Amino acid sequence: MAAAARSGGGYLERPRPSGLADVIDVILDKGLVIDAYVRVSLIGIEILTIDARIVIASVDTYLRFAEAVGRLDIQQADESQGLPELMESMTSGGAQSKTKGALEGVKDAISGGDDDDDDDKKQSSSSRRRSSSGSSSSRSRSRKSS
Amino acid sequence: MPQADPRVYVYGVLTGADAPNVSADGVAQAHVRTVEHAGLAALVSTLESEELAAAREVRAHWRVLEDASKSATVLPVRFGTVLEGDRAVREQVLEPNAERLTEMLDELAGRVQLNVRGDYDEERLLREVVRTSPQVAALRDRVSRVSDSAGYYDRIRLGELVAAEIAARREQDAALAMARLEPFAVSARAEEISSQNGAFKLAFLVESGEMDTFGEAVGLLREELAERVTLTYVGPLPPYSFAETDLSVGTAAWA
Repeated sequence: MAAAARSGGGYLERPRPSGLADVIDVILDKGLVIDAYVRVSLIGIEILTIDARIVIASVDTYLRFAEAVGRLDIQQADESQGLPELMESMTSGGAQSKTKGALEGVKDAISGGDDDDDDDKKQSSSSRRRSSSGSSSSRSRSRKSS
Repeated sequence: MPQADPRVYVYGVLTGADAPNVSADGVAQAHVRTVEHAGLAALVSTLESEELAAAREVRAHWRVLEDASKSATVLPVRFGTVLEGDRAVREQVLEPNAERLTEMLDELAGRVQLNVRGDYDEERLLREVVRTSPQVAALRDRVSRVSDSAGYYDRIRLGELVAAEIAARREQDAALAMARLEPFAVSARAEEISSQNGAFKLAFLVESGEMDTFGEAVGLLREELAERVTLTYVGPLPPYSFAETDLSVGTAAWA
């Protein structure tokens, strides 16, 4: 959480330093793009950025929303229901876990602990496997193997 | 024609005068160094290894840029950028784009990126949607009275309506947050939301000396949004979101 300090009338907020999880999207999506003619792409890694997308408008999403809305216990008396109760009914219903999308999975894998070398390797090899079936492989790779 | 240089991974570009202090290991655990040309310096590391581990390399890329940004203004390069060698960095990136890169670096000097993200509490949000949209409430009632299979299309329709309501709220809340914070920034960008509960994701370029003023505006926005939206305020970051330019240089002679 950002540290908020009172100063005079309002809050003066200080940003908290970023963790990898905060910036994973910008790292994958933003930054200077060097022309494709010049760069040798890390194809396996670029595929990762595609995996990191979630499809917002899909039937699955709609059904999930419908389910979540249906799960809400909204009656006339509803407004008086306590928050703790609501929280409980939400979490026990399992709706929370279903809201975890593919993106969070990818993010967890990326921004997880430092010592998960095994995971790293697995991910890397699977990316490479997929990349080899993709479009023309990088020039460098063919050069190295020749 | 193949070149003798080993390939290099590129992290970012900075002015040649700024000597960055990077202690973090680079991609594939290589040493990070600079390739200098035309008053500019590219932050690179030699890439000998074919054993790239996606998760590890994303982290390395991030750390190198965080490190370098502590002492210099760095234009981050998109993750995963590899060039044929030092010569390619000089001749195909720094040389043909020197003017543009220098301009961008001048513009970013003394400024930092600050990110402000808003997230909804899903349950609270859905409740609000049901309460404020008679259409959603009616369809919800109908769906609840039939079996899952009988109400399949109604359920999809209900979800669609809910999604549309959420999209409208996102737009409103993003516009509100932008209106409150943009006046305190040099530049601002609304970025794509990447999670189901996201309300908005905004990136601001702020003068380093104005961070307190900006921070006050964030504090006021947090109060205004109260419990509807949880704010996350992160930074300072290298200006990832303000370096989003395609460096289109000519086709390489040997390609």
